Amino acid sequence: MLIHNLKKSYNSKTVVDSVSLEIPKGCVLSMIGPNGAGKSTVLNLISRLIARDAGDITFKGKDISSWKNKELAKHLAILTQSNNVQMKLTIRELVAFGRFPYSGSQLTAEDNQKIDEAIAYMELTDLSDRFIDELSGGQRQRAYIAMVIAQDTEYILLDEPTNNLDIYHSSNMMKIIRRLCDDLGKTVVLVLHEINYAAFYSDYICAFVNGQVAKFGTVSEVMTKETLSEIYNVDFEIQEIEGKPLSIYY
Amino acid sequence: MDISTNINAASEQDITPKKANKKAAILGRKLLLLLLLSLLACGLYIFLNINMKYFDYALKIRGKKLAAMVLTAFCIGSASIVFQSVINNTIVTPCLLGMNSLYTLIHTAVVFFLGSSNILVTNTYLSYMIDLVLMGVISTYIYSYLFKKTNHNVLYVLLIGTILSTFFSSMQSSMTRIMDPNEYDTLLTTLVASFSNINTEIIFLSFVLMIVVAFVFRKDLALLDVITLGKNQAINLGVDYDRTIRHLLLAVTLYISIATAMVGPISFLGLIIANVSRQLFSTYRHTWLIAGSAFIGVIVLVFGQLISEQIFHYSVPVSIFITVGGGLYFLYLLLAERKR
Repeated sequence: MLIHNLKKSYNSKTVVDSVSLEIPKGCVLSMIGPNGAGKSTVLNLISRLIARDAGDITFKGKDISSWKNKELAKHLAILTQSNNVQMKLTIRELVAFGRFPYSGSQLTAEDNQKIDEAIAYMELTDLSDRFIDELSGGQRQRAYIAMVIAQDTEYILLDEPTNNLDIYHSSNMMKIIRRLCDDLGKTVVLVLHEINYAAFYSDYICAFVNGQVAKFGTVSEVMTKETLSEIYNVDFEIQEIEGKPLSIYY
Repeated sequence: MDISTNINAASEQDITPKKANKKAAILGRKLLLLLLLSLLACGLYIFLNINMKYFDYALKIRGKKLAAMVLTAFCIGSASIVFQSVINNTIVTPCLLGMNSLYTLIHTAVVFFLGSSNILVTNTYLSYMIDLVLMGVISTYIYSYLFKKTNHNVLYVLLIGTILSTFFSSMQSSMTRIMDPNEYDTLLTTLVASFSNINTEIIFLSFVLMIVVAFVFRKDLALLDVITLGKNQAINLGVDYDRTIRHLLLAVTLYISIATAMVGPISFLGLIIANVSRQLFSTYRHTWLIAGSAFIGVIVLVFGQLISEQIFHYSVPVSIFITVGGGLYFLYLLLAERKR
């Protein structure tokens, strides 16, 4: 996926300004940056949830707007933060929606198999008949990830998947994301606030400041004292643990 | 994708389709029960206290009323479910679109400017056509325009609908204030929902229109289940969200127009029947919800009309029961929502 000169503004306020980026295939890319830096907006732009003002987003050699909606849904999935369902929906029924781009509401045997695999992959098999609104935040998040897995797309975009999760559940979530890439060969792009999760679990980091890309590179390229201090305006110390740079800030 | 490594994936496969079938069977039984109850209501309505001497004549009158009630129930029932799913809120009714006040305004304006003895008032067929065309055209135009203007924000559209409905009612009440009292008296009878005095052509035309609308929007209706997941999820799954929502709202306004033009302001009924259906079926599948809502509508309307005719001898119109019952039920829903 190639992003070139992406722009978006609300009224007169520019939130994304000439962002150019190439998302490498088959790896985990984390977008970090202070609040309001435009990370989530970029994620929403490249997943067609909101319309861009200018720029090109080339996905598999074709501009994203010339893709057919249904076809794109088989190659690219996005999960945003707010997922409110008013309906009485069980986990299995939710995950089954992941197969919608393929077979509509008529599930085939293959669909059922993929759904079961996705539920089992997220270790939700025992809960699969529970209603979504009766689940804890962590379980619900896992159910939504299972739906994305059932959607079986090459690219997965996640907007703050660890939001509202405790330490146990968020590190679990990060491990799952790592496995999605390593075991299933997916390209995962996620917005994160927790820098150390980004450092520990991703391959690339893209840092945003004021709607622009401040730094893009491998984890060790971005995770330096100088870069991080510049991005966040806070003093940082970098230490290596298990060969990965981790930041300390206060 | 291969996730072959996983445990109990194989055993799970044998269980889940069975479970799904079981669930469908339960829903099917509930729907069958509703169907039987509605048939019972219809049977009672036709045969209770019927004078065998004039059987054919009575059957003709009662049959027409019954057909009008069934059509109304289907219109309001399905429109309410669709509307709630589009707004993603289960305590709204299509009343919010202001169709009731538009209907009252149209009728008042006709009597006000042309007098109550004008052919547009006395001929039910003509007055039905005027209601239908005006309501259909005005609402379609207003809501399509608003939708574009507000960047497809449904909540803005609703807010403006509420304001418009107040606007229509104030215009209507200022007209009635300066109207001749006798004319007002004549007018008042047409402003209450009623199933008598509907002729066969109107019923037939409404039926045909309902089918045409359902056919035109069949593709959008099929997307209802996905729509309820919310805008982001629907787009993620490859749905052209804005277009679908626009079409669905259009279908809702047309259905409400058909029902209101036929029997008068009655869309408050939708709140009760849609929610009872949601409680009873507790599923996200709109095929069940809509069917359930329609049958519950038949049961409520026909039994209500039975009580109104047989017990109160027409002195209390059925819409009073619906409004009182609906109001109480609405309070219950609000309190239940707060507890949750």
